[in-house]
Amino acid sequence: MFVPLSYNVRSLLVRRATTLATAVGIALVVFVLASALMLAEGVEKTMGSAGRPEIAIVVRKGSTAEMGSSVEEHEVGLVKSMPGVKKVNGEPIGVGEVVVVASMEKLGANGITNVSIRGTSDASASFRPNVKVLEGRLPTPGADEAMVGMRISGRIKGLALGERFDIKKNRPVAIVGVFSDDGSAHESEVWLSADIVKSSFGREGAVSSVRVELESLASFEVFQAAVEKDKRLGLTAMRETDYFEKQSEGMSMFIRILGSIVAVCFAIGAMIGAAITMYASIAHRKREIGILRALGFSRLGILASFLFESVLLALFGGVMGAAAAFGMGAVEFSMLNMSSWSEMVFRFVLTPKILVTSLVASVAMGLLGGLLPAIRAARTSPLTAMRG
Amino acid sequence: MNEVSPAGEPLIRLRGITKEYTRGGETLRVLENLDLDVARGSFEALMGPSGSGKSTLLNLLAGLDAPTQGTVEVDGKRIDQMSEGKLASWRSNHVGFVFQSYNLLPVLTAVENVELPLLLTPVASSERRKRAETALRVVGLTDRMGHYPRQLSGGQEQRVAIARAIVNDPLLIVADEPTGDLDRASADDILRLLETLNRDLGKTIVIVTHDPAAAERARITHHLDKGKLRA
Repeated sequence: MFVPLSYNVRSLLVRRATTLATAVGIALVVFVLASALMLAEGVEKTMGSAGRPEIAIVVRKGSTAEMGSSVEEHEVGLVKSMPGVKKVNGEPIGVGEVVVVASMEKLGANGITNVSIRGTSDASASFRPNVKVLEGRLPTPGADEAMVGMRISGRIKGLALGERFDIKKNRPVAIVGVFSDDGSAHESEVWLSADIVKSSFGREGAVSSVRVELESLASFEVFQAAVEKDKRLGLTAMRETDYFEKQSEGMSMFIRILGSIVAVCFAIGAMIGAAITMYASIAHRKREIGILRALGFSRLGILASFLFESVLLALFGGVMGAAAAFGMGAVEFSMLNMSSWSEMVFRFVLTPKILVTSLVASVAMGLLGGLLPAIRAARTSPLTAMRG
Repeated sequence: MNEVSPAGEPLIRLRGITKEYTRGGETLRVLENLDLDVARGSFEALMGPSGSGKSTLLNLLAGLDAPTQGTVEVDGKRIDQMSEGKLASWRSNHVGFVFQSYNLLPVLTAVENVELPLLLTPVASSERRKRAETALRVVGLTDRMGHYPRQLSGGQEQRVAIARAIVNDPLLIVADEPTGDLDRASADDILRLLETLNRDLGKTIVIVTHDPAAAERARITHHLDKGKLRA
């Protein structure tokens, strides 16, 4: 039979200071782990939500991102005319866009960062149904006007509504609108007329990518085969969702691995902390354990009791760490997107899976940190109770 | 007072008991070829100078330790041959312990401390609480059930310890210096209580004591010296 759980709970409460100190150590580990997982989730969500499965993106063969791709302007029409592309009133639905990065000054932090600038066509906004103008208006086609994604607005000098930035020397562009796109990576971009981008960056005669809307999800294979078999083009087609998944996987994996390494290092420290606390507690309660043994509680019962106490302590820390990580949900984090080398803003996204992972990690720390002290407790002789 | 055990089958029968400890490579013989019978329903005291082996003897007959040589039989069972797990289970069913320093768990209330031995039995939780309350009533602590040990006097703590010792209706109660930490008045109360348990409830009690007043309450007193029973 097992020692009553109230014994463990109250023993932890009696030693409030050491219990709290150990729990804070574990909370820190859980916070780091959960934050890293939340950021990786945020990266995947931000990049992933930019894509829709019924959209296909076409880039130059060998290019892994829009920025490194170049599609001749005359090829845009050819791509749009391929089988599988949805037509409305006989017109294929698709856009050719040019993507460049420009160095701009960060606000609130010293330094320069890269910002993605998307040269759009008249159809770009309507092509993406989630795009909403939050403030101001859409830029006038052909005018030196731009709109900025909500996440990056106000973070970069000149990129707030009513401000101007120089797209090239002595060519100011006015910010006339701020837009959202359901949390996607586009919210970290500046959109303006493709013609202005091309002329400003010497990209005349070409775009970076062509996006088309497919007749159905099943039409992709037909479209892809048609694009990739056409020897004149030298282009490759992907579903937009796959494209963004590839863009985000390296970055999210990097964050996950880095976060996990940091968390594991911290966890070793926290487990040692938990073990020291439990060792000290057991040394202090040697006689109590002896009494339990004398009364007839088995070694296994004592082992389970002290393991439970250690797990409870760790779980308390885990809940504190998870609560702190939950607070990170309100934080936005700006970092360089390694696929486009441009500034991108991410959110920390907490999911039930991350919550469970964090709490399981804290339980594991409690079990591992508490095992050796619990074994020591179980080895206590019942004669200890008799010694004065 | 030093009497011969009453006639009849003894509850405890120790034969040829030798107990040795090895410390720092040196073997220390604490008990040597000792025989002892304790009759059922008896109240017996073990006295002797420090280091005479009386606590070791108590530990052996309570199943807390095993002899180096010899046999320990309690109620017809050879407890010296039991595995550690079986012995723990046997103790929980057949022995009640009273210690010099009371040895209550400080984070549990009086009634929870008394309930502890019952957790090792199949008794239902509501019945456990009833029995613990009854045991506390027997020792006169009905009004202290929800108190923690730190809220009780030494005498009251020892009464709780006695309630814990009797709650599972054991064959045998062993007490190691039960009055050692108490003032005279509290010590007398505790001794009266043990006497009542022996006389009215028929409990077999073996105590280790330095206190002649405590030994006088016992029906039989055994004197130990250098690991041997003095005739």
